[in-house]
Amino acid sequence: MAAAATARDARLTMAPSAPCAAPGALWLCLRVPTLPVDVFTRAWPVDDPLRPFVVSSGGHYPRVVGTNGAAAAGGIVAGQLISAALALVPGLATRDRDDGAEAAALADIAIVVLAFTPATCLAPPDAVLADIGPSLQLFGGLRALVGRLLRSLRAQGYAPLLGIAPTADAALLLARAGRVQPVLELAALPAALDDLPLHLLDLAPRACDVLRAAGVTTLGAMRALPRAGLARRCGTAAVTALDRALGRIPAARAPYAPPLRFAARLPLPAPVEDTQALGFALQRLVQQLAAWLTARGLGVTRLTLTMVHEPHMRLRGIPSTEVMFALGAPARAVAHLQGVLRERIARVALPAPVEALLLASEATAPLAGRNLELLPGDEAHDVAVPLLERLRARLGDDAVTVLAPCAEHRPELAQREAPRSPAARPPAAAAADRSASAAARQAEALPPRPLWLMDATQPIAAQLDRQPWILRDGPERIESGWWDGRDFRRDYFVAETPDGALMWIYRDHRYGVDDGEWFLHGLYA
Amino acid sequence: MSSLRGAALAGVLSHPAIWRGGDCAPEPAALPTGHAALDHALPGGGWPQGGLTEVLLAHEGIGELRLTLPALARLTREGRAVVWIAPPHRPYAPALAAAGLDLARLIVVRCRDLRESLWAYEQALRAADCGAAFAWMNVHEPRALRRLQVAAREGRTWGVLWRRPGQRGSATAAPLRLGLASSAGRLAVHVLKRRGAELPQPVLIDLARAPGAPLLGRAPVAASASRLLTPVLSPLHAAGEPAGWPPPPRRATRG
Repeated sequence: MAAAATARDARLTMAPSAPCAAPGALWLCLRVPTLPVDVFTRAWPVDDPLRPFVVSSGGHYPRVVGTNGAAAAGGIVAGQLISAALALVPGLATRDRDDGAEAAALADIAIVVLAFTPATCLAPPDAVLADIGPSLQLFGGLRALVGRLLRSLRAQGYAPLLGIAPTADAALLLARAGRVQPVLELAALPAALDDLPLHLLDLAPRACDVLRAAGVTTLGAMRALPRAGLARRCGTAAVTALDRALGRIPAARAPYAPPLRFAARLPLPAPVEDTQALGFALQRLVQQLAAWLTARGLGVTRLTLTMVHEPHMRLRGIPSTEVMFALGAPARAVAHLQGVLRERIARVALPAPVEALLLASEATAPLAGRNLELLPGDEAHDVAVPLLERLRARLGDDAVTVLAPCAEHRPELAQREAPRSPAARPPAAAAADRSASAAARQAEALPPRPLWLMDATQPIAAQLDRQPWILRDGPERIESGWWDGRDFRRDYFVAETPDGALMWIYRDHRYGVDDGEWFLHGLYA
Repeated sequence: MSSLRGAALAGVLSHPAIWRGGDCAPEPAALPTGHAALDHALPGGGWPQGGLTEVLLAHEGIGELRLTLPALARLTREGRAVVWIAPPHRPYAPALAAAGLDLARLIVVRCRDLRESLWAYEQALRAADCGAAFAWMNVHEPRALRRLQVAAREGRTWGVLWRRPGQRGSATAAPLRLGLASSAGRLAVHVLKRRGAELPQPVLIDLARAPGAPLLGRAPVAASASRLLTPVLSPLHAAGEPAGWPPPPRRATRG
């Protein structure tokens, strides 16, 4: 035990000579200090100067945790009592801090970053770290990569501060200090970190007190201290933290893995009564969903959007309005998903104002990244899907149908009109094919059928009374269906009207009579 | 000198934005109709792909759909979607399949009101993969028609707007308007409006052998019906006059 302690002390006494940071590693830290406010205000398109908003810490003496631009312009600063803030800006909106939403928001940021590098980890409470070194060449250099990443994040309503350094801990320190200038070389790291204040390093409170009492305020001063003495007085953790930041010992960080199922909640800063006004918040959620799908290499086929109502409606038994979406093919394009969602929710009538949105994936399917087409027309097959989905989303699933012939002698039953189902199950499709081919064989033997079939057969005795029609073909006796109660016995004729139109008419012989009434059943249009 | 001037003039006149009264405007993309006489009468030699075609009907059932079937069959076989919006009756799958349409590509959309139909029609016209979009709707508002025409042009879709039978046309934004009537067993296509000179004579098209047409002139064979009908019918067939047989007796009550 004592020997082990001695050995450890000895290791600490000697500074590791060779740097342990992986060659080529370059860590990017994205820190969002405004996260407590962002989780609420990102549902707004712009920071509205007329809507002052603060996040309160809650509790007996709630204090301001963060403000938006309008509230800051009114003189509110973090740390103030909420009562004082209300006195400064009378129309102030406040919401209690939502730790769960902040953690979820951090995960969202990590998911966006996963599109750029797989080595992404969380650094709670407000930062995400990513090793972008191996990705630099693919994205065309540091400037291009960071620019693209920031654009993706701004599209989701986050404005992170950056820190770029060869080690993860140094990147975090730079981001905390607000140093935007990237440090690219490990050798330049000590000089870059030396003047940073000590409180940026995650040290135990006791270690902080000891160092402050000794007059040590910067990392540079701490680095200059004898290591063994520092370890003895402040604990080995302080030395390890410094070594990690400088890349002297490796730092293991668990990579972030995106969840298996997507579920994102977006609280709205103010209740919304109209689905039209949800468009922007929905856009944020869809962008989040698209980032998740990209990170997992999936496309979504079924989605649920839950619109959560205000608490008093929850008490009345109307907790939320749920809308299901089904897509024709796995999809992850933002514009496509957004178009479908917007059309679908336009049909929803809200029973009460909405307080938050919840978007969850119900079913997904692997969707590989698409290759660019080699020849023109290569992807003509896939383009029809969005049209179908737009139609189905707005008009309803039953409104969009495809036809298929069936092997059946009764004309009404010789076709099936089925909703254009997105994921036709293969066995059913095979059965439909068999039925269609049987129908095709049957159709060869039969006289040509009319292109239009009347929705309901119409008695035409009155028209025949006025002016007779000429029978041009027939009769064709169709007698079938004794087994299911829809049996009939009819003689079909092709008749020409005085106007020159060709009709498909029949005489009904169901009751055993040979001169039954005449009905119009179809048009040779 | 004059030949030089003539060549220069011809060069100016061959500009695609200029067309002269005597001939038809060049149609960027035309879809062969499958009827040579009609192809000859239409600008570009076929149905306009990227434009609205308005069809006025004298009566239903005179062969109006049969006229379009060859082009539709060709489109669906090429893998392009055909969308029918708010059809007046049920499209009948056995007949359509027999005419050569790939039914998986034929999408039938039913709408609750005119607003929905207009929206769906515009979406279909605008969609890149939609080869043809047919709509049966009663829309006369110039703004709506113009919007549909623009959508068809942008989506490069052949749009057909079917008017209710017997309806007369008003001013339209559609570059092509046809009036269909039956004439002695053939379909008379009156080209009422086209980008080109006026066509005084209708184009007569025999659709008796076209896909979707019924067999005509087969003698009735069923004994029960022929007992009543054949003696009346046979002179009619010989004369070819639309006089006709007496209507069957109506039954006042049912057993």
